Amino acid sequence: MRAAGELAAQAPASRARRGDTEVVVSGMSVFSAFGAGVGPLLEAALAGTSGFAPVERFDVGARRAKVAAAAPGSPELVRELVRAVNEACDEASLPRASRAGCRLFLAIHGNPEVGADAFAASIAAACGFAGARAYTSACVAASTAVADAAALIAQGRAQHVVVAAGYLVDADQYALFDAGRALALDGRVRPFSSGRGGLLLGDAVGALVLEAAGGPAPLARLAGWGRSGDAYHVCKPRPDGEGLARAITDALHRGGVQPVDIGYINAHGSGTKQSDVAESAALRVSLADASDKIPVSSTKSIHGQALEAGALLELILTIAALGAGRLPLNAGYLGPDEDCPLALVLEPAAADMDYALTLNVAFGGANTALLVGAP
Amino acid sequence: MSQTTETLTTVPEQKGLGTANNLPTDQTAAPGGAITAAAPQSDPQQADLSAATDSMTVAVPQQPEPGAAIEAIAAVVPPLDLSTATPAISAATPLQAADLGLTISAEARWPESAADHTAPSLPGFIVSAFSPIAAETASRCLSRRTETAAVTAVLIATSRGDRESAAHVARTVAAGGLLGPLLFFQSVPNAVAGHIAARWNLTGPVVCLADPASALETAALLIEDGDADEVLLLRIEQEPAVQDQAHAVLLQAASLAQAQAAPGDTP
Repeated sequence: MRAAGELAAQAPASRARRGDTEVVVSGMSVFSAFGAGVGPLLEAALAGTSGFAPVERFDVGARRAKVAAAAPGSPELVRELVRAVNEACDEASLPRASRAGCRLFLAIHGNPEVGADAFAASIAAACGFAGARAYTSACVAASTAVADAAALIAQGRAQHVVVAAGYLVDADQYALFDAGRALALDGRVRPFSSGRGGLLLGDAVGALVLEAAGGPAPLARLAGWGRSGDAYHVCKPRPDGEGLARAITDALHRGGVQPVDIGYINAHGSGTKQSDVAESAALRVSLADASDKIPVSSTKSIHGQALEAGALLELILTIAALGAGRLPLNAGYLGPDEDCPLALVLEPAAADMDYALTLNVAFGGANTALLVGAP
Repeated sequence: MSQTTETLTTVPEQKGLGTANNLPTDQTAAPGGAITAAAPQSDPQQADLSAATDSMTVAVPQQPEPGAAIEAIAAVVPPLDLSTATPAISAATPLQAADLGLTISAEARWPESAADHTAPSLPGFIVSAFSPIAAETASRCLSRRTETAAVTAVLIATSRGDRESAAHVARTVAAGGLLGPLLFFQSVPNAVAGHIAARWNLTGPVVCLADPASALETAALLIEDGDADEVLLLRIEQEPAVQDQAHAVLLQAASLAQAQAAPGDTP
């Protein structure tokens, strides 16, 4: 058996290419456990206030876990998606009349009744878009949609792409995650922490307008993106993090950025031992010594795991934090896990950030890394 | 682990006759003559995990006596409106691929012949044939390739996803039943993509999209931008009232395919 040091991969050389056009974010909108708007979500993340509460939306009497980060009441997915898309487009000054030439990329859980593509088309039609496509790749669905949109814009094949995503905590997924013993029974998500108990689901509906640079006052640059596969297991991450490391390396390469340029990492940080350790290894492999110093947090400790929509919520929160010059907290922390030697954000802190990285992984060994830069 | 609830509450959805309207239209695929009918498991207590998908499906060969076979099916499945049957699905055609600068280097289907009436078992996946058929079709396609690329992406295109699993989960939750832990990961198409990637060491991106045209566009983008050298594009659909189908194509850049061909090889 080889020692862990031998197994750990070296930072891989990137073969990633991209088109020359710079890609920016010009509008965004989000709905979360904290209600509508980026403001309340950012405020909670900067203060370390978690949104977990007993589930009232459906009966959890038969479940082991009882808690989620769900907004009050029974929000409707279609209504919230349309609202998020319209708000993001308003911020981006993309009026309805201008959307007829744009496409909507929607990250959504598979829809067995009408089909995810037909569902996406209905949202696109309601918002005035020319067409739509649906991404269903679980926890990397939204980040994959962003990467595709950015690649198309960079290649000059699209001027604008609106990426939207939605997941509202529901009885079926809750039952599945509960059956998989994935949910934290202590009602908190504790990423990278000793004493962690697993993940908890959360609401997220969001929309983001990506466009070719040149417009006034963008919110951020989508500087780089990378995705990779572990080729390892149906649902377990590759323990040495080599797959995620390749995605990170590609994102930095496309952005022309060195590890020391990164001011903050919004980690996937699911709050399960296996995933947290593999992600820590990936950061070490891809960022080398810089991984000791870059502030890291998993905001799933604040807003929960929003499945297909999670990566978009986390990207929006990362952009908001970059704009605010403050770091989101890694909440729920109980104590160090020696297998996760990261510079976790445990206290409110200001930071002068040029770049931030947001990471996501999913079942099937799917990995994504998105690099955002100050505008 | 307890799978009792799963096997006991499984009520397979009706599968169609639809043979005549369900033949692969692509000339490269062998015409499938299988008729598959679903019937309740005769003894769910006996079913083990790996055999769960097998035991859900009763295959009735069309030949040598189609009349008798149809009678047998009629005993378990009510007559169907054949207008709801669909032709064979397509992940991508050579022309569609060529439009994006791609070429198809290998291809496979489910079903390909009358022998493809029952999905092979896939350990760890239960209740539904969606993932077993996906894995089998991917294996057929990849075993037909003549060269191995350094980085292969896995793209799954499915509109409705694993309908059988989703319906099973919805029914069980609505009835207040308990779900088995295996269903946890198979509820998303990524899971079988991960199985395929691990089995064949495919280290490129894993992407699931709802429609094949978008998946083909993403495939072209991944190859053009260096995220992958080739893409396995796999379409799977569990449509109501027709046999589950899959179509896999292995895509690479047309320019690469030309460069790889020796000068004497081209006609």
